[in-house]
Amino acid sequence: MAEDLVLDTAIRDWVLIPLSVVMVLIGILRYFVSKLMRSFQAPDPKIVKEGQVIIRARNLRSAANFIPARAFRARRIYFSNEENGLLHVPKGQTQNAQAQMFSDPNMAMDMMKKNLSMIIPQTLTFAWVNFFFSGFVAAKIPFPLTQRFRSMLQNGIDLSTVDVSYVSSRSWYFLNLFGLRGLFSLILGEENAMDDTQRMMQMGGFGFDPTKSLSAEKDGLDIVQHEWVLPKFEQRAEAVLRKLVK
Amino acid sequence: MVTKTEEAELNRLESQVEHGGGGAWEYLCLIRKLKIRRSDKVLKHGLSILNDPKKRSSLGDEEWTLYEQVAVAAMDCHSLGVAQDCIKVLSKKFPDSKRVGRLEAMLLEAKGCFEEAENAYLSLLEDNPLDQVIHKRRVAIAKAQGDILKAIEWLDKYLEIFMADHDAWRELAEIYISLQMYKQAAFCYEELILAQPTFPLYHLAYADVLYTLGGLENLQTAKKYYASTIDLTGGKNTRALYGICLCTYAIAQLAKGRNKEDKESGELQSLAAAALEKEYKSRAPSKLPLLNSTLKNLRL
Repeated sequence: MAEDLVLDTAIRDWVLIPLSVVMVLIGILRYFVSKLMRSFQAPDPKIVKEGQVIIRARNLRSAANFIPARAFRARRIYFSNEENGLLHVPKGQTQNAQAQMFSDPNMAMDMMKKNLSMIIPQTLTFAWVNFFFSGFVAAKIPFPLTQRFRSMLQNGIDLSTVDVSYVSSRSWYFLNLFGLRGLFSLILGEENAMDDTQRMMQMGGFGFDPTKSLSAEKDGLDIVQHEWVLPKFEQRAEAVLRKLVK
Repeated sequence: MVTKTEEAELNRLESQVEHGGGGAWEYLCLIRKLKIRRSDKVLKHGLSILNDPKKRSSLGDEEWTLYEQVAVAAMDCHSLGVAQDCIKVLSKKFPDSKRVGRLEAMLLEAKGCFEEAENAYLSLLEDNPLDQVIHKRRVAIAKAQGDILKAIEWLDKYLEIFMADHDAWRELAEIYISLQMYKQAAFCYEELILAQPTFPLYHLAYADVLYTLGGLENLQTAKKYYASTIDLTGGKNTRALYGICLCTYAIAQLAKGRNKEDKESGELQSLAAAALEKEYKSRAPSKLPLLNSTLKNLRL
């Protein structure tokens, strides 16, 4: 392939640009649809409290050496005793999130709404791109790339002889799907921008179990060795004052 | 916590706005972001924006945020008329909003109708039992009515859930000190030190409380915390320097007659006295004799 392929300008006008525009519009539309469907969910006091307990226990663990030994021991017992310590999770209560989800229909409903707003438009656009634009070479990037990029940039074209720097239309769709975050943050405001990669991560993160972090924090607290640092501060203060007085 | 650069930026903007250099909106935004209480300035400059239709409409949706900010500032300055006007505009725009409901309840509170305010807060809490601001307002009402025990009760309830909120811990500590319940206050200051271990003022307050409690062990601990305050402030804190001297004296008094071997060795106290002297010499030479006689009394 010594000579370059010449891409029809009509491809630019009717494939490359429309595809990008449609992706942006769909992103915006989805933002507004999900805003409509979002239901305000009052946070559960128990979950809020657990979060706060974890923060406080973490503070205790990291700054333990700054308070006297007696104060530290009292707090450790308060947090991690076996009877009613804040971090102690009774065996029977370790209810996993999956079961909780099924017991609470609202939660399942919320999940479904989130899923629907993500999957349906994605499937539809993919089908649309596949139907109308399959097999186009839509663009050429201005620098050469190695063979490894072929699967990324030439999805849908099974020609091993085409130079890798040509981008197929389907790949252009994928690039848009994952790369429009910056644009959305410009259009919709910083905190609203969420691209599909993030959405997927969010999905994966579901099923997080707060009781696990409670018991992890408890284990961490149990092994903390208390060593009061304040006596050292006396020497340091002396050094500071000596310098000051001099 | 406001960092030094943020404060410098704020002061720069403030003087710019004060001298008619513009940037009032940026100034107000910064105050809101840093959660700083400069209500008189907010009231003055916020109102000047709100009274100018052209400037106001150029804010777009932020207009309503400004109304809220000015309303709260006006209540703080006891310009209840201004606050009422702002809240009226807001409730016209957002008839069923909880946030506006909160402002209305705060206005009742500012007017001194504590019963009505309390009821309004209670009905707001029914909708959202985890509204931190409203819980804190209820503490404030109890305090304003002089019912300190009730304030403690509300704070306790609040801290039961939001136990990582160190501002609430500080409030509780100060209330306990005002009631001379020093052991409880000491616990609160321990909590504060845990939350921000390198913030010198908590070390200082904790040391004060321990010194007030008295007893050999507490005094020794107090001295250590005064020392850490000195270290963390670079020896700039006069109160901590005095604290070292007083603790040393008190420890010596208590340890008198007991075995001498655990007598504190080290020259911290003499260094502290020297630092105090130097400080007084440079800042307030006229008070130097006073200091000298005090130190003499403490046998330093």
